[in-house]
Amino acid sequence: MAQAKKGRLNYRCPACFMRDLDIDMFYDEEKDEYYCLRCQFHGDEKKVLELNEQLRWKYGSMRERITEFDD
Amino acid sequence: MTEQFAVTIIHRPEMVPEYAEKVTGHGKAEDLGRKALLTESLDIFKTQQRCAHENGLRTTIQMTYASLFNDEAVALAKADHEKYGDEIALTLLGLPCKEFRDKYKTKDFCIWMFSMEDKKAIVRDVFEKFHERFGFYPESTGSYYMDAELINFIKEEYPSVKCAVATCWEEGPKAYHTCNNSWYTLMDGGPWAPWIPSKVNTHAPAANKEEDSGIVAIPHLSRDLLACYDGNGSNFGTHPQNVLRGMIYDTKTWEYPYLYNLIDQYRHLAKYNNGYAYNMMFVGPGWMNKMGRWEAPYELLLKSYEDGCAYYGKLKKEGKLTDMTMSEFADFYRAKKTYTEPECALWRDILYGSEKQLFWYCDPFVRACVNMDQGGAIVDLRPYAAKLEWPVGIGTPHVQDASYPFLIQEKYRAGYFTHYAGEGTIRSAKVCYNGEEVDLCLCRTKAHFSQNGSDRVLTLDPVEIVFADDTRVKLQTVVTFPEGTGDIRIDRKILSISNPEAKVTVQEYMVGCYGTTEYPEDMTSLTLRVEAGESSATIPYEYKCREASAENAASVSCTLPPIKTLVSMEAEGRDKAGFVREGYAFSPMFTLGYTGTLKEKEVFTTWLKLRRAD
Repeated sequence: MAQAKKGRLNYRCPACFMRDLDIDMFYDEEKDEYYCLRCQFHGDEKKVLELNEQLRWKYGSMRERITEFDD
Repeated sequence: MTEQFAVTIIHRPEMVPEYAEKVTGHGKAEDLGRKALLTESLDIFKTQQRCAHENGLRTTIQMTYASLFNDEAVALAKADHEKYGDEIALTLLGLPCKEFRDKYKTKDFCIWMFSMEDKKAIVRDVFEKFHERFGFYPESTGSYYMDAELINFIKEEYPSVKCAVATCWEEGPKAYHTCNNSWYTLMDGGPWAPWIPSKVNTHAPAANKEEDSGIVAIPHLSRDLLACYDGNGSNFGTHPQNVLRGMIYDTKTWEYPYLYNLIDQYRHLAKYNNGYAYNMMFVGPGWMNKMGRWEAPYELLLKSYEDGCAYYGKLKKEGKLTDMTMSEFADFYRAKKTYTEPECALWRDILYGSEKQLFWYCDPFVRACVNMDQGGAIVDLRPYAAKLEWPVGIGTPHVQDASYPFLIQEKYRAGYFTHYAGEGTIRSAKVCYNGEEVDLCLCRTKAHFSQNGSDRVLTLDPVEIVFADDTRVKLQTVVTFPEGTGDIRIDRKILSISNPEAKVTVQEYMVGCYGTTEYPEDMTSLTLRVEAGESSATIPYEYKCREASAENAASVSCTLPPIKTLVSMEAEGRDKAGFVREGYAFSPMFTLGYTGTLKEKEVFTTWLKLRRAD
């Protein structure tokens, strides 16, 4: 089995991102999946992208343009 | 009041951008002189300059050491200075290059971490190289952090310098953790907006001419004063690619209203600062790498920078923004601000959808954060009054740690909530009646800002406390910061009480400790004291869980020799009694406080005072 390498984009581990850790994942070509060196996360690009969408739940105002700041 | 929103946009031709060599060069042996790397770096710099100029914005070009060896980079800077009026300045970021490595035989690149001897050698080398290429010395410089000894040396050797990027707000242990404990920018506890650093400690603003380091400092990025305090700072600043790193954008539309909300909330801060607000954007070229970064393709990285510049440009066209180079800003700031005039920010959540509100106050004697979601508790407190000597770099006790120590930090040393036992750092109050205690930390509210002479006043909406027998107490908190004193006054007033005969007790308290990180420090040099004439008491800290109290105490205090700080409380009100509490090994804290009684319409007042201990 050849060594892992960086993927097309530097996907970070979604599980670690949720705990404020930026960990670039590596790509296992044989299994066609990304995996995290720090935790146990592994998954293909589709799964990574889905989880990246999901983790935005915490940004409740992410799509809101706020113009009023008065106290 | 005329409002002025000053913006500085800074670009640096960093020939070996952070991230580019390490991340996108993965799989290749390190080669700082790779031609492709150098070409790409300059292309990014040119793109950034174009984005600013197309939107009518002038920039400060901070030449890096590496770029001074590159004829094209020098020529580009000269041309843009001529054509657009950009300032040519010099950064101490971007040291890594073949010439630097060959000469200094080290991979270190953060100027504040070098020994003082090396700092001097590098500064002379870089400034003289700059002079050789441009024929003059720069007026602006900077790094992520500039320690006081470094600033003093630069000002002495190169007095033309009047402005510097000198810290990155709350880039400390949180950023370290986010980078898997591999990014050593430990610099919590500084100002979030421009300031004049003192000669003794960069983070603590100068209180007068004698303390003035001679430069105006600006922060590296204008950061979200709520999100950065709670989470990874590198996701929440006026740095478009920070916003992408935080994944704060719609992946389908590539829109990021948060970036504009952040800029606009900074504009709003003029309301609290005599009509002045500030913003800066400083994106290193590594963030606009052709290989993409943080899941974002290059096209999105570029779009976000173009959009950021376009928004600033739009504000300028509308007369709502004044773009300044760094040296111009320094002159503007000197003319606008007095030494003791504080920086204030009543900041609302613009990201998570909560209604949380924080108030930040900073002057030469204190930096404090008041949390309205916790009833106006002080959740962060830095005693600038101590003007603590804190040399940084190899050969000092603090090789990497440049943070200004805290007395209170609710994230690192708990706040109201602790697990199972012990106490966390906080300045709050408990309202007690009939054997029950209710901490105001559990009373969420909102605040309104006003200025009364030299006092900045935070008036909180009244909160209602309901006891088990349905006795209801309506209480209001007013927090006052008298400018340039190191004092914080807190008034608690009972507006109404459902049972007018009820005797309500208030317990004002501060749980404190000291440190710059999450881990406890040795408390054995601390001394607690109750000052009450013949009833005075002293407790040398020995983790023995002791207490002392006295009726009508004049003050209660704690002396903290490791940070040369004396913190004390005084009070005025019915039946006042002061107390101090020593902590214990599982709760390495100290507590200062006062109790008193309150009836309807009565006020209990306390002053928290910060002084240098020696």
